[in-house]
Amino acid sequence: MLQLSAAIAGLVTGGAYALMGLSTLLTYRLVSVVNFAQAAVGAFGAFAMVVLYEGGLPLVLAVPAGMAVGALLHCGLGAIMVRWFSESGEGVKAAVTIAIYTGLVAVGLRLFGAQHPHRFPSPFDAPALTLGGVVVTWTAIVTMVLAVLFAAAPAVLLKRTRVGLLLRAQAERPTTAELIGIRVPRLSMIVWGIAGAASALAIMIIAPQLASDFGSQAALITPALAAVLIGAFRSFPITLLGGLALGVLQGLASTWQAVQQFRGVLPFVVILVVLVWTRRGDRWDEPA
Amino acid sequence: MRTALVKVGGIVGAAVIATSVVAGCGSSDDGTIKIGAIAGLTGNFITEEVVKTAKRVFDDVNDAGGINGKKIDFIVKDDAGNPQRTAQVARELADDDVVAMAASGSFTDCDVNDAFYRQQKISSIMAVGASAKCFQSPTIAPVNVGPFTLITAELLFASQTLKNDKICNFTVVLPGSEEAVNNALAQWEKISGKKLAVSDTTVQQSGDLTPYLLRAKQAGCDAILFNPGEQLVVPFLKAAQTQGMTDVDFLLMAPAYTESVAKAVGDLGLKVYAGSEFEPFTADSDANKGWKDAVTRAGAPATAFSQGGYLAAVFLVDVLKSIKGDITRESVNEALRTMRPISNPMVGTPFTFGPGDRHAPNQASKMVELKDGKWVPLGDFITVPTSS
Repeated sequence: MLQLSAAIAGLVTGGAYALMGLSTLLTYRLVSVVNFAQAAVGAFGAFAMVVLYEGGLPLVLAVPAGMAVGALLHCGLGAIMVRWFSESGEGVKAAVTIAIYTGLVAVGLRLFGAQHPHRFPSPFDAPALTLGGVVVTWTAIVTMVLAVLFAAAPAVLLKRTRVGLLLRAQAERPTTAELIGIRVPRLSMIVWGIAGAASALAIMIIAPQLASDFGSQAALITPALAAVLIGAFRSFPITLLGGLALGVLQGLASTWQAVQQFRGVLPFVVILVVLVWTRRGDRWDEPA
Repeated sequence: MRTALVKVGGIVGAAVIATSVVAGCGSSDDGTIKIGAIAGLTGNFITEEVVKTAKRVFDDVNDAGGINGKKIDFIVKDDAGNPQRTAQVARELADDDVVAMAASGSFTDCDVNDAFYRQQKISSIMAVGASAKCFQSPTIAPVNVGPFTLITAELLFASQTLKNDKICNFTVVLPGSEEAVNNALAQWEKISGKKLAVSDTTVQQSGDLTPYLLRAKQAGCDAILFNPGEQLVVPFLKAAQTQGMTDVDFLLMAPAYTESVAKAVGDLGLKVYAGSEFEPFTADSDANKGWKDAVTRAGAPATAFSQGGYLAAVFLVDVLKSIKGDITRESVNEALRTMRPISNPMVGTPFTFGPGDRHAPNQASKMVELKDGKWVPLGDFITVPTSS
């Protein structure tokens, strides 16, 4: 019984992981950057929102303002990528985002304080239903719906629309796409902006449930990347499932005495297992 | 090769001896008493108010003519919460010939510098001792209760004052403090003759906290001790409210006793208590008068940490005043070893250093209760009986 309750509680965290994972996957699929700074950018937007909200701005204005901050910041990151690293390999781009992640965390801690918690508004805090002895809030349901939306929308966009086709072209062969007349820089800027706003929104919803300091929020990138890895950096629906599964796994682990204390490192274990499994055919001494 | 190595080793050894001799002989003759402190003035966790308040106390002494006509020179170093910096600034302070450390508010100080202080024979009256090492060193005596004795005191509050029956413990254990936490829990069991209904010392700082609350709910806990700081306490209590745990007593530790926690969780309708370590800083009492006056004039925020800074400075001044003759590291150490316990209404047990190989002079805490978004002081000091 406790296992079931813990698993259901884990589903909520899993929704959060999935949301962050899907934003990261969106960036990867559309501009081919493994963005380690994705959650940090989202946290920046979310904290901008909370500071404005605490300053007296109504929530309906603070949320779009926070998303705009996330979008702008992500555009800035995108500009760096497009300007200087568009021809670089994925490894180099990822390394740049790691550097930016470190910088953003330092600046974020300084700007938003690490000591005292901000009061993240949680408008969907009311209990929605009781499931297996766990009270599930509307926040959980909103998270879940949003996660499904994040998973479905890009998949449909990429497969079914002309914009999707252009986006895929510029993600896979940026130079070729530019040569045939696609305005790659402008298109990528839009993508960076949307992904930034989406992660800001994701963090705003997740934030009240987790340790409410900038560092912890930015560190959501670890479970998010684990989820994306389960989806093999391709599939939106599998990333969604991966995020949920990771949350459930963490929930279950908390009821199991022997592994309880390793709950925090579970995302890394998942990353390791997935990497070993997907690379099982490789040999060290053979060229890839 | 071998001989070269021996030669190099010899030179390095000679250099070390030379510098330490120079440091030992170069006692300050500029007519001031140098006191050192390490605090986080920048970085993740800022404890500037600790040293600001202590500085005010020392400045007041200086304005009144100093100690035997000598002024106190209070040297504060910023370690930015970075262990390398913590080690480096302690060496800088030793090179500056401080006679003692007082009112340090660095969370890495004890773990990093304990051995160095022993070697240099520098005593430290800490304002905020947070790690187990702070309470296990012959050269360090914190003025605060600390996160371990406070666990015992709060559990006593739950079992004796609140008359809770099923007390549960959920603690985040930081590396190196496992033994201290377990000792604190065992001591409560010994004093009260009771057992914890649930004791989980594997709480993680990441992820959702609901699973812990579900366990507590299943075990029927009527009191829950939860030790992390502000950032984790807020989502924990929010989740508790979601799960409808309104009849459970939540016992928080001193780091959660802040205005921002009161604001963030005051309207959840939960029963929340916290240990204050000192006379509660939100209490408008006579006991707090001296500190309140100092912290206000220092222009620092009135926090529990600043109380630690105030007390550490006041206690050291008392000890310095008792010294006849030159004030040096040796004479300060001797005075601390032989000092008479100093009582202060802000603490429940008198402060003393003494000759022991570990010091935890503060063994009593008051409790505060969260009422209408404000922390309200409750009753008298709860003193943990000393273990024999």
